[in-house]
Parts: sequence; structure tokens; C-alpha cells
Amino acid sequence: MEVRVDFRVNGQDVGLDVNPMATLLDVLREQLDLTGTKRGCDAGDCGACTVIMNGKAILSCLTPVLQADGKKIITVEGLAQEDKLHPLQEAFIECGAVQCGFCTPGMLLSAKALLDQNPSPTQEEVKVTISGNLCRCTGYKKIIDAIMLASKSTKK
Amino acid sequence: MNVVGKRIKRIDALEKVTGKALFADDLKFDNMLYAKVLRSPLPHAKIKKVDISLAKELRGVRAVLTARDIPGEKNIGYLGDPFRDQPVLADDKVRCEGDPIAIVAADSKEIAEEAIKLVQVEYEELQPVFDLIKAMSKDVPRVHEGANVVGHRKIRRGGVEAGFAEADVIIEGTYKTPFQEHAYLEPEAGVARMDNTGNITVWACTQFPCMVREDIARVLRLSLNKVRVIHTTTGGAFGGKADISVHCHIALLAFKTGKPVKLVYNRSESVTSTTKRHPFIIKYKTGATREGKLLAVEAEIIGDTGAYMSCGVAVLSRAAIHATGPYNVPNVKIDAYTVYTNNPIGSGMRGFGIPQIAIAHEAQMDKLAEELGMDPIEIRLKNALEVGSRTATGQFLTHSICIKETLEQAQKVAREWQYDILKSEKSNKRRGVGVGSMWYGIGSTGYPNPAGAFVELLDDGSAMVLSGCAEIGQGSDTVLAQIAAEELGTDAEKVTVITADTGVTPWARGTGASGQTYIAGNAVRLAAIIAKETLFQQTATDFGVTKDKLYFDDGAICVMGSEQKILIIKAIKRCRSLGILTLGHGSFNPDTIPLDPQTGEGSPYTTYSFATDLAEVEVDTKTGETKVLKLAAFNDVGKAINLTGVEGQLEGGLSLGLGCALMEELIVDKSIIKTPTLAQYLIPTAMDMPEDISVGIIEEVEPSGPFGAKGVGEPASIPTAPAILGAIYAAVGARINEPPATSERILAAIQRK
Repeated sequence: MEVRVDFRVNGQDVGLDVNPMATLLDVLREQLDLTGTKRGCDAGDCGACTVIMNGKAILSCLTPVLQADGKKIITVEGLAQEDKLHPLQEAFIECGAVQCGFCTPGMLLSAKALLDQNPSPTQEEVKVTISGNLCRCTGYKKIIDAIMLASKSTKK
Repeated sequence: MNVVGKRIKRIDALEKVTGKALFADDLKFDNMLYAKVLRSPLPHAKIKKVDISLAKELRGVRAVLTARDIPGEKNIGYLGDPFRDQPVLADDKVRCEGDPIAIVAADSKEIAEEAIKLVQVEYEELQPVFDLIKAMSKDVPRVHEGANVVGHRKIRRGGVEAGFAEADVIIEGTYKTPFQEHAYLEPEAGVARMDNTGNITVWACTQFPCMVREDIARVLRLSLNKVRVIHTTTGGAFGGKADISVHCHIALLAFKTGKPVKLVYNRSESVTSTTKRHPFIIKYKTGATREGKLLAVEAEIIGDTGAYMSCGVAVLSRAAIHATGPYNVPNVKIDAYTVYTNNPIGSGMRGFGIPQIAIAHEAQMDKLAEELGMDPIEIRLKNALEVGSRTATGQFLTHSICIKETLEQAQKVAREWQYDILKSEKSNKRRGVGVGSMWYGIGSTGYPNPAGAFVELLDDGSAMVLSGCAEIGQGSDTVLAQIAAEELGTDAEKVTVITADTGVTPWARGTGASGQTYIAGNAVRLAAIIAKETLFQQTATDFGVTKDKLYFDDGAICVMGSEQKILIIKAIKRCRSLGILTLGHGSFNPDTIPLDPQTGEGSPYTTYSFATDLAEVEVDTKTGETKVLKLAAFNDVGKAINLTGVEGQLEGGLSLGLGCALMEELIVDKSIIKTPTLAQYLIPTAMDMPEDISVGIIEEVEPSGPFGAKGVGEPASIPTAPAILGAIYAAVGARINEPPATSERILAAIQRK
């Protein structure tokens, strides 16, 4: 039995028939072909599935797709505007904050949700923001440096 | 140098920050089927009967396969013969939780999951062997046909009895390290597809595409040229994606159904069914003079390799070779045992046996220092290996041995930190500084592990590099581009690197032993040199000079001591006009001497990396809770091809080491994993890392490395846990010989004092 759901993803309106048991992560990856958002654990433990829903960073693997009805979703594919990268994306490249890249989309979205609310966070605030995004490669230092760098360029 | 040594941006960063990088689960094909694996819930049992009839009848199921459906070889194993002891699908017996028995391909994930539940297996439970010491005795069942003690590496140098007799002080200790989980963020995934001419292509995350090709060819009974393995963007590996996981299963299902088949593990399946770090039990005895000179080291190392060999004996060999630590010890007796149990399979995990033994050798040095009233760094300096030293395997060290430099740099910083602690107020929180040192031999231990490469200099001066080296996040693609660009007089952006696609790239060793910069990098460099020399040869002929007078400068080929010069593009065009192509091939294999089976004598590596870490911790004496306040790493890397990349590896290594020291322990009870999720097996978050992290390198050229480089991936993570454990002891006098140093263990140790 499928159910109709309507929401906005990366500025585009979508209307879909979905399995009501599906998570937002399932639908983004499988029905919308937005595979940038990653499935690391399907249990809300790792943060790789982080997207922004109505301005808030959420774990899409724990979010029933029906909860997205009528909402605005931003995924990693929606960060760059046409050919221009988001300052966070520029900063991640600049600072060497990307290694295997699997945690990167989730990190970017958590960081964007922070900077949209708080354009000049402290280092501690950045750490708390990404405390739910696990990374096994970087040790977090360059990711924090990148988010701090991006906060300086978004301020301008 | 123009490119090597520069902070070039990673060539794969853009695709990763835009979400365009394709990991295996991102791949989709028309008519793709979804696979699922039926795994044993029991760690040790005979399989009496497998009934797949109900599963096969389920609508949407396209294949249900068991061991009898395997057309070729039924067993795999990382080290190859004679260690291929792991069934692709278990036939008569299961030997660990998670052992695969049947595989299903269906139209959807949901149908595949339903079908697995319909496969009926009748087991006859056997007593599991889960106690490592008991596993060595004759009183427990055999996991395989032979004895459970499946490997014994011996290192013998001098005479330890005489050494201990001469010693003024003897320190003994027993250390136990736990199961650890790699916890890469990307769970295993892959897709396999047959074409209509009998060729199969497998896209999957892996550290070793050439080994995957070989195993699929053996299992399907195909010749190697008919199997293509394309490595997908891999979301971390750390040694845990070196073994076969999804690869043979999807190949079998694609082979049987004729359709593309995708298999993706969920997190618990990834933790439960794939390999782990070997738990070690180490008994260590050190003898020294009262001046602190090491005279003798004797150690017994027992490693739990679990149900199958995988890399088992290689891990224990590496641990045995490095057991003394980076120190001169004239009398050495090491016995390292690899033991089968029904526990999770032990294989490579960042450090490959050295993190475990480093916990022991560094704690021993600290205990020795305390006994003799010496500074822990002083005693290490006094015994540190240097050019002219001989290792415990009798290898003469001739170059790029910078353990002393790492210790000297650490000593300066340690003094500042300790001074600050003296000035700080006393409370129920105590602070302490600890040090850890290590050495790590680059490349596989005494056996061949070559890499090949092709390089082509194109008409416009840009270049292609083809290498079998698997990028697993550590940055090898970028390093290879830099090495080729440097040799070819161009920028890294002008070099396209295609790696780890066996349909296109030549053989390369698996990514491991921190050896890709050194080995794959050398192969790329040699190939680039041939391409360059072909170009130079024609230019030299045209200029009437010898080839050795030519060099690249700013887009041109110049002649030493002459005004003659030609733009690179024009020189290439000149070659083309004569029908000459600027191509090169290269291969490199470290020239090692394998270990003598009785004495361990040999030269197992052609170069070693050294490192020292410092840690400052703060321990709450009321709760045992420990915060790491500062971490500093001093690493001897030969040459940093890309400093940003090296820093990233060092900082990441510190986080893994911190996890090992304070929180990482996979709980395994009677061979069953009790903590299979990331909510239960905790790895460091951003909150666990200190703000004060500094990483530094020492660059003393390794002559046999590309532009002098050695390796850093594993050295980055090895000294950290010993340093943190040492810092805890300095803070509260609690010695944790069985990491992780959880708050409960620290509190208990404080209370025991």
C-alpha cells in the first residue's frame, strides 16, 4: 500500500508514492536517486545520513518519510548553487577535511545547519554540533578547522 | 621540487564534498537483484541439513545458493595456500558466529530478507572454543583438522638467560588487549554483473582488488582475464576490507542469475561477520643494567585469530619482529603463537599486531624507568635504535632511523607540559604526561608485495597514471598524481590517476602495511621516468647533447649549461611526428630477506618508520573518568609527499589510538559478539578529541623511497594508546595493563593501590 507525500528537496518540489514504512533516507537514495546522503548504520548512531529539514539537522535514517510531508529538505546535492560551491564545501577542500568522504555529506549538513543559525560559532560550539557525526579517518581537527574557516567567509 | 612536498588539494575532494563520489551502494543497474546472506547464529556447530526449498518458492526470489552450487574452489584465505581455510559458503561446519551458509538474490531487499528467513538449517551444536589459553590445550575441541595452535614465530638473538643473569633489574608484566572493530563509516557493499561473453565485473569496496579477482576466478572457475574488479570509492577500511566480504557471494549470484546483483551489509552484519583486531595475551620480561641499558627481552605473545587464519600468522610475525620496541636489545627471545578459536576472525587492523605489542613494550619501559628513578624519555633515548644498530632479527640498520629525533622533540614538549602541571592547582582531578614510541616496518613482512604502474605523457603535456593501488581514504591517488607530476615537469591537476580497476590497471599489492606511497609510489615514479626519458632521448638527439643534461623548467625542456630549450608540448609533438609514444611502465618490490623459521633471522622490511607520541590526561580520582587534554605526535616519515595528507593521517591516527586507550573493546562472550552496533562499540567523537593537538614530522630521506618517502598510515596510530596509558599512570599511579582504560578500570586500579 503506497501513500502520496509531497515535499521540497534542494529547491525542487517532489510528489511521490512511497511505502509508508520507508525512512526519508530510503526515499532520498532509492526513489530520488540522491545518493549523496549516506547510510552508515540505519540506527541513528553515526550521523552519515544527516540532512536539513526545515532548517534543522536531522537523522534521515530515523525519520519516517511521511514526516517530511510539506517540509523543505536540503541534502549535500543542494549545497552548491549552480557552479558555485558552498563556503563549507570550499573550506573542506581547502583544509584537507576530506579523507574517505563517507562522513562528509553528513558533516557538511550538520555544519550548514549550525552556520545558518549561528554564523560565528566558537570552536566548542562546532564540536558539539558535529558530536553526532562519527569520523574514523580525520580525527576531526581539520573538519573543525574547515567549519571555522567557512564561518569567516559566510560572515563577509 | 614543484609538486612533491606541496599541500596539493586532494584530487578526489570535490566529488566527495558534492556527494558525487560513487560508493558501492550508490551504484544502480537495470534489472538489478538484491542479495542477502544467511549466517550462522552459532559459533561452532555441524551443519546437518540445509533446506532451501521454501526460500526458492518465494515470489521474487531468483536464486538461492549453498556450497554445492560453487563451480570452482570452495575456500578462500588472505594469505593464499596453505592458509585457504575459510569456506565461501559453509558446508559441513560453522566455526564462528556469522559464518555464511546460504545466499539469496531477489527482486528487492525485502524479498531477499524474507527468503533468508525461510532457509531452514539443522545444526548440531558443538562446544565453542572461546578461551584463548584453553584453546592451546588438548582438552578442547579442534576448530579445524589440525591443532588449534596454528603458528609459532620464533625470534632468537644472543642468550636471554645470560642477559637476565647480568641484569641489575628485571621487570615482568602481563598485558591483554581486546577485540577491536575497524568501524569504518561505510558498511561493506558491492555489485556484480556478468556480460554475455562470460566476463564478470565486480564493483566493490576493497583494499586488494587483485586478490578479489583471483578469488572470484578460482571460485567461478574462470580465467583471470575474464574477471574484472573495479574498486569503488571506499569509505574507510583500516585493514578490515582486505579480506573477501561481499565479493564472492555477489559473483556467484550474478553468475547463476545472469543479472546484476547488489549486496550491502547492515552495520551489525558488518561488525559480526567481518574481521577484527587480534586480541593478544602478552607475557613480557625485561632485563636492564642499573644505568638503564636494556640487556634482555623475553616475550610470549598469544594471538586469537578466531575461526579462520586470514592474516593471522602475518600479524603475529610482525608483532614478534617489533616486540622489543624501537630499542637496541642484545638478547632476545620471542615466541608468538597464532591460535584458532571460535571467536571472531582476527585479521589486519591498523598497526597489524604492533599496537598490541607496543602497549606492552612501552609499559615495560615506563616500569623500568620508574624502578631506576629515570625519566621515561631519557631511558628510551638511551636505548633507541640508530644507524648502525642491529635489530632482533639481525638486520643492520643503515639509513633513515630517526627514533631519537622524535624522542628529542617530544622531550622538549613534555617538559613544558609537565611544568604547566606543576603550576596547576591540585584537586580531585590529577594530570599526567605520558610518552609512547614505536617502530613499524613498511611493506609486507619478508615476502614479495610488488606494485606495477603505467604512465602516459599525452600530446598536450598532461598525463595518465594507471596503478593498481587502492585508495581507501588515506590519500594515495593524490600522492601518485604528485609523484608523476614531479617527474614529468607538470602540475598535479594535469595528471589523471586511474587506480584499482583490474581491467585497466596492472597488478598491485593490497593497500596495507603503510606501503603504498613507498611501493606503488616507486612504481609510478619509475614508469614516469621511462616516459620522460623517451621524450628526453629524442630532444637530446635533436639538440646534439646527452640525455642527462636535460631538465624540466616551467613548461620547457632545458639544457644544463646551454641556452637551448624547447617547450614540452613541442618536444612531444616532435616525438609524435616520428611515431614515438611517451609511455612508461614500472614495478617495484622491496628487496627483503624472509625470516628463518627457527631464529627469526632476516631482513623483513627495507625501511622502518619511527614515531613518538605524547599525551596529557586529566583523571577524576572520584570517578576514574579521563579526559585527554593534549596530544602531540612526532613522526619520522622520510619525506612528506603531501603535508596536508600526512597531517590528516596523523590526526586520524591519534583518534584511533585514543579510542584504543580509553573506550574501544568489542565485547565477545562465549564467542558471540555482544556489542555489534555503533551505539554499543564506542569510537571517539569530536567531543573526545582534545583541542590541543599538534602533529610534527621529521624528514630524513629514505633513499629507496620515492623522493625519500616511507610510510605513515599505521605509525600514526600506534604510539598514542601507550602514551595515554602512561599519562594515566603518571596522573594517578594506576597502571592499566588491560586496555581500554575505562573509568571503571581506572577507579578500580586507584582503589587497589
